[in-house]
Amino acid sequence: MKFSDVFVVDDDKIFHFIIKKLLLSNNINVEPSFFENGLLALEGIQNKMNKGENPPDLILLDINMPILDGWQFLEEFKRIKSKIAKEITIYIVSSSDNKADLNKAKEYQEEVSDYYLKPMTVDDLHEIFYK
Amino acid sequence: MIINPSLQRKINLENEMSYKKLLSRLPDLIFQLTYTKNGQIVFPFFNKAVIDYFELSKEEIRTFNISSIFKSKIYESDFLQLLESVEQLNNLDSSWSFEFRAVLPTKGLRWFKAVANVEKSIDDEITLFGRMTDITEEKEKEIHLKLSEERFQFALEASTNGVWDLDIKNDRVFYSSQSMKMLEFDEADIIDTHQKWDERIHPDDLDDYQSAFNKHLLNETPFYENAKRMLTKTGKYKWILSRGKIIERDEKGFPIRLTGTHTDITELKQQEKKLLQTLEIINEQNGRLMNFAHIVSHNLSSHTSNFKMLLDLIEEEKDTGTIAEIHNHLRTSSNALSQTIEHLKELVDINTGVVQKKENLNLNLYLNKVLSVLSEEISNNKVKIYNKIPKDYNVSFNPSYLESILLNFTTNAIKYSHPDRVPEIKYDLKSDKGKTLLEIRDNGLGIDMEKYGQKLFGMYKTFHNNTNARGIGLFITKNQIEAMGGKVEVESKANVGTTFKIYFNNEI
Repeated sequence: MKFSDVFVVDDDKIFHFIIKKLLLSNNINVEPSFFENGLLALEGIQNKMNKGENPPDLILLDINMPILDGWQFLEEFKRIKSKIAKEITIYIVSSSDNKADLNKAKEYQEEVSDYYLKPMTVDDLHEIFYK
Repeated sequence: MIINPSLQRKINLENEMSYKKLLSRLPDLIFQLTYTKNGQIVFPFFNKAVIDYFELSKEEIRTFNISSIFKSKIYESDFLQLLESVEQLNNLDSSWSFEFRAVLPTKGLRWFKAVANVEKSIDDEITLFGRMTDITEEKEKEIHLKLSEERFQFALEASTNGVWDLDIKNDRVFYSSQSMKMLEFDEADIIDTHQKWDERIHPDDLDDYQSAFNKHLLNETPFYENAKRMLTKTGKYKWILSRGKIIERDEKGFPIRLTGTHTDITELKQQEKKLLQTLEIINEQNGRLMNFAHIVSHNLSSHTSNFKMLLDLIEEEKDTGTIAEIHNHLRTSSNALSQTIEHLKELVDINTGVVQKKENLNLNLYLNKVLSVLSEEISNNKVKIYNKIPKDYNVSFNPSYLESILLNFTTNAIKYSHPDRVPEIKYDLKSDKGKTLLEIRDNGLGIDMEKYGQKLFGMYKTFHNNTNARGIGLFITKNQIEAMGGKVEVESKANVGTTFKIYFNNEI
């Protein structure tokens, strides 16, 4: 298994449910932490570090979220990245196939490893966790 | 010394002979003209030069009266005028001059000027002693000049362009009648100095004009060109394009004379403005279309992808409890999709003008209406309302949009009031660059503009941890304002408050 500690950052609670079910039914033995917006996810990372725990090794990040959206999260993440000793992989998972979003993701090449379009498939999960 | 009379006669005669000889040999064209009592003109004397110059042949001189031969060479109409001018000579006139044309055998048409002294005898005979000069060349030049002058004058008047001619040394300037007409001046108005013209330039265009002019004076530009607004006699502004060039310099190279043209480009400028406005509208519509595409990709596909994923799950699932849970989620997704579609329909209606009928509405009245609808919320939250909108101010707007906008801004201000202070909402009418705007200022939570400014009016955007927030209100509000030709701006500071500025487009 490539990743064991996973953050799912998405304001859609149904998506949380779907991810949980997909992982379970595909025997991917991971229990992700779920966050409804970018700010909560940042706080989650901070909490772990404060407690002396390792930060997550994978973040599945939605773009369109209240309070702090995906892009704003990435801006904040850029700033704290240097303080994190561990490599964190970030995949954007969004329903937006809008060119503006796809282009913007390229601006975050340093942070974002790939862009997955919803709906997520079993194949996507296999690719993420096994390849 | 005593001179004997016969010698005296001899001397006189010799003198007379030599004078005659002198006269006849002079290269000048010498003549004597007599106007007889019976109204005839005769030429008692011509010197040899006249005979030669007028190409009178020996044959002619022998067979005909020299006066009539000479007369026959002169243009008939000119001769009649000559006759008239001699007739009109009176006792006070001591000199005479006249210009006439003659057609000569080889020289062709020539212009002559005759100048003479006038003598009147006791019996009213008039005699002229004088000289003729061939002035053909001067005359041709004069005619040529007159012609080009006339052509220039015609061009000045016929052209829609004006012409100016600036004499820097004497600080004088000439503006053609067309230039004057552009500013609605007529012949009687006098604008003869640079300053009088420059006074009429729009203050905002003065700097550009002066810099363009000075650049040419300093030889930095090959010619001078500047478009500016100028005040006409009746107090309107017109766009005038001025072009010019230095045409004369003094020995040190300093410019002393410039000339150029004026063109009225008001219409051009108006068209340019219209074009820009059209472009702006198209850009705006394009922006909304893009925004719409964005909304569709974000908000619709998030629901459809949920359907797909939930259906995939349900196919694999055997546990009835989980299946029921998935069903529940499907229902939630379905409801959310319906609502998004409702919102999009509303958005399309706003933007396509289905309900865009404008009416003249009293702003104060409408605000009071909205405030009374919200009276319970206002008193429950102890909100202080300041309505400073003049009672007589009307806006051209769709009634239900106006209500919806006022309702939305007011409920937002109450919803996001600051817990530590008494909520205040101030409604005021302000003016900004000639445009009237409604200002709605609250002392609530405020928004971090740096973080959220750009997304504030986006669809489904919420910025506070408020569970009631749906993030649709401001989005719809902005669309309604823009559909009415207005615009909305926001100023906000976290923990201080928010001010919304609604600009109305009151041109119906």
